[in-house]
Amino acid sequence: MGEIRSQGDDSNHIHLAKKPKLSSFITQSQIQQEFAHHQPGVSRLNNGSFGSCPGSIIAAQKRWQLKFLQQPDDFFFNQLPTQILRSRTLIKEIINADDVSEVSIVDNATTAAAIVLQHVGWAFAEGRFNKGDAVVMLHCAFQAVKKSIEAYVTRAGGSVIVVHLPFPIHSNEEIISEFRKGLARGKANGRKVRLAIIDHITSMPSLIIPVRELVKICREEGVSQVFVDAAHAVGSVSVDVKDIGADFYVSNLHKWLFCPPSVALLYCRKSSLSSDLHHPVVSHEYGNGLAIESAWIGTRDYSSQLLVPEVIDFINRFEGGIEGIRNRNHEAVVEMAEMLAKAWGTSLGSPPEMCPSMAMVGLPSSLGVLSDDDASRLRNHLRDQFKVEVPIHYQPLKDTEVGSREEGDATNKIKSEAKFEEYD
Amino acid sequence: MNIMFFLFSLASTLFRTPISTLSRSCLSSQHYFRLFSMAAKNPHHHLEENGGATTVMAADILNRHNSSSCKKRKLFDIDVRSEFSHHDPAVARINNGSFGSCPSSVIEAQQRYQLRFLEQPDDFYFNHLKPSILRSREAIKTLINADHVDEISIVDNATTAAAIVLQQVKWSFFESKFNPGDTAVMLHYAYGAVKKSVEAYVTRAGGQVIEVKMPFPVASNHEIITAFRNALEVGKSNNRKVRLAIIDHITSMPSVVIPVKELVKMCREEGVDRIFVDAAHAIGSIRVDVKEIGADFYTSNLHKWLFCPPSIAFLHCRTPELSNLHHPVVSHEYGNGLAIESSWIGTRDYSAQLVVPEALEFVNRFEGGIDGIMKWNHQKVIEMADMLAKSWGTNLGTPPDMCSSMAMVGLPACLEIMSDSDGLKLRSHLREFFKVEVPIYYRQPKVGEVNPVTGYARISHQIYNIVDDYYRLRDAINNLVNSGFTCKVFHD
Repeated sequence: MGEIRSQGDDSNHIHLAKKPKLSSFITQSQIQQEFAHHQPGVSRLNNGSFGSCPGSIIAAQKRWQLKFLQQPDDFFFNQLPTQILRSRTLIKEIINADDVSEVSIVDNATTAAAIVLQHVGWAFAEGRFNKGDAVVMLHCAFQAVKKSIEAYVTRAGGSVIVVHLPFPIHSNEEIISEFRKGLARGKANGRKVRLAIIDHITSMPSLIIPVRELVKICREEGVSQVFVDAAHAVGSVSVDVKDIGADFYVSNLHKWLFCPPSVALLYCRKSSLSSDLHHPVVSHEYGNGLAIESAWIGTRDYSSQLLVPEVIDFINRFEGGIEGIRNRNHEAVVEMAEMLAKAWGTSLGSPPEMCPSMAMVGLPSSLGVLSDDDASRLRNHLRDQFKVEVPIHYQPLKDTEVGSREEGDATNKIKSEAKFEEYD
Repeated sequence: MNIMFFLFSLASTLFRTPISTLSRSCLSSQHYFRLFSMAAKNPHHHLEENGGATTVMAADILNRHNSSSCKKRKLFDIDVRSEFSHHDPAVARINNGSFGSCPSSVIEAQQRYQLRFLEQPDDFYFNHLKPSILRSREAIKTLINADHVDEISIVDNATTAAAIVLQQVKWSFFESKFNPGDTAVMLHYAYGAVKKSVEAYVTRAGGQVIEVKMPFPVASNHEIITAFRNALEVGKSNNRKVRLAIIDHITSMPSVVIPVKELVKMCREEGVDRIFVDAAHAIGSIRVDVKEIGADFYTSNLHKWLFCPPSIAFLHCRTPELSNLHHPVVSHEYGNGLAIESSWIGTRDYSAQLVVPEALEFVNRFEGGIDGIMKWNHQKVIEMADMLAKSWGTNLGTPPDMCSSMAMVGLPACLEIMSDSDGLKLRSHLREFFKVEVPIYYRQPKVGEVNPVTGYARISHQIYNIVDDYYRLRDAINNLVNSGFTCKVFHD
């Protein structure tokens, strides 16, 4: 559950997938063709930051853009709302939500964070939360989310508890233990923990977090609401929002689900509180529920939000559908990570089972990466001088071990294999 | 229509020259060669409306004019038809105001940016995005006569700009800079989305909202100024402070050009804290000089009348360092000023924000640039409005000098438009059955009005429009009238 089924399943009227005949799976050269617009000569190992989009989806997007340009009024009145609903309905299936009203489409996880945090900000301002009540977040939360917490929670009088996770890391238990400690700090002095923000897959350093367990702990400890920032999740790990049990769950679809920039889903579990979420860009639909509000926030290009059906078609050209892609990406990235670690005499930052389609590989300490700045500059150097695109993370550890984040995806897998063949 | 008129209208459409001018002036032989070679070079150039036009015919027209004495006339260096060939050719597109329009050369420029991102997004993000946004901001700064580029932020649309300004008002209430009950003044005809934003951020935070009741039809600026003054008085009554005035530069429905300069001056005299001009329609349809207008915040969409793709707007802030404005989608740049915050609000397609220079390049291919286009559009929309009003036996909703590139034309009262819903349904009806796209405004009649005009068509004119668009609207309405149609059919 919680993924696009690769067996034929007509339990609902939406045809998510029929297992294609073996002969009609996408071929290696077709994959290369789909990504022919990627700059040749660049080793593109950073799918996590900005994602990627196949040529056939881009072409589909252009068709929608053209429809708007041809007759924008007709598009606005007669086509846009239907198409957004169509995307939302498919997303609901992908993530195993109960009801399509729980699914809103927004630009990106950054926007979703602003929506959830603005809601928290109102609660402080309107006295539902007391000054000093806490919001708990991970130390390695995405920087934009940290700024959003500052802008909406701190400014409104909330306090922020930061949970430090060790890195390199060896098991989920380390995370669970630190999280429990963080919650305890949050509740100290009679405060309430009003919101826990938990990454499903952290960005830098990149790890899969045991969100299901952490959400359970939050419920046990009386945390008011839980927000899972799963920017990287859909398309790289299995996502079942009911199973995870958070109040809010956001994932970008342009990172690992082949949508063009940009589109994200924001899942809001039905409850009395969820009606109080609003898109910060207020327009005609204000008060009609977040999903409807988000479907019109003024004139703009909504085309990237309309492509979920085409994306599902694309994914189903792969053996095993999205699950197949995820598994192969994971296997390939771990394989490549181990190859690199061996060549460099280093190791991975986390065990393979905590890696999605990305892996943290230690860089040789002789490089002397001693700051975030060094890491940035090294990344630029690799881009400029070697045409290798890969983000570098600086981890201030006692032994100053650092890591580089590398990913696999369907195309990279092919490329790496080709490189190996060359050396055979 | 006799043959001469046919040829004139053919030439007029071919060369985008007003019929009247073509008949008065003529073309030098040099321009003839340039035009002939342009038409010959461009195999896509064709005329749909009169059918079967050929370049030979065009040359005949030119020959005829060459022989008479003439003054030199600079012509358009643009193939308007092919620039807007993506517009649905079957539709009489008389609603440029709602969603704007974008020529193919600007779309192509946008697509080049989109491709660069897809090719190597990290490189685009680190090395190209910020300078390109700055380039656009600089271009806008010059266009609107702002002092410094720091004053210019680029956002998606005026709706977003409103949220930014109003969120700041919300914080002021929360942080006790404003007292509960302090007021915000806005026009009754303010845009619906802005009204909702005021509800979401001002009313919810404890502010009160005063609406300026403006008459419509309106006969002069004086009526507006008086109404506004009255509203300010109400806003200040009972010891309240007017914390924000929201003034449209051109209202949306009904569309009226508002004397913003005078109203801003009045607000300053009356001690209004902050003034926000919602000028969504302004840039590209009327002159914009933010220094002269003098508001604290001024926003306008560039995708409506300035040929940018959807979507892009600027928010001008007179004192950026003091205003403490923030983009509601908070990202890495939080705290670095609104302009910088707005230039990165997470991964998304920023390409529409990067083609302002290309849009201005397009505009400058016209004689007189944007000023020429504005004058031309205004002149044509009034001409067409008068033609329609004459045919329908109605009037314009405002005098011509209170029209921009849009005009409100009274619809025959016998259509019995009795509600906003009727207006919307009539608009759909025109779209579906006549392929005419024009927004319809419902005006509530005053008590005791006999045979009131309750419906107005908001017609627009942009460079791609042809006279036939308006004839089709004229005929569609006359058709409905003659067949006894009324909006009562929508109530079944």
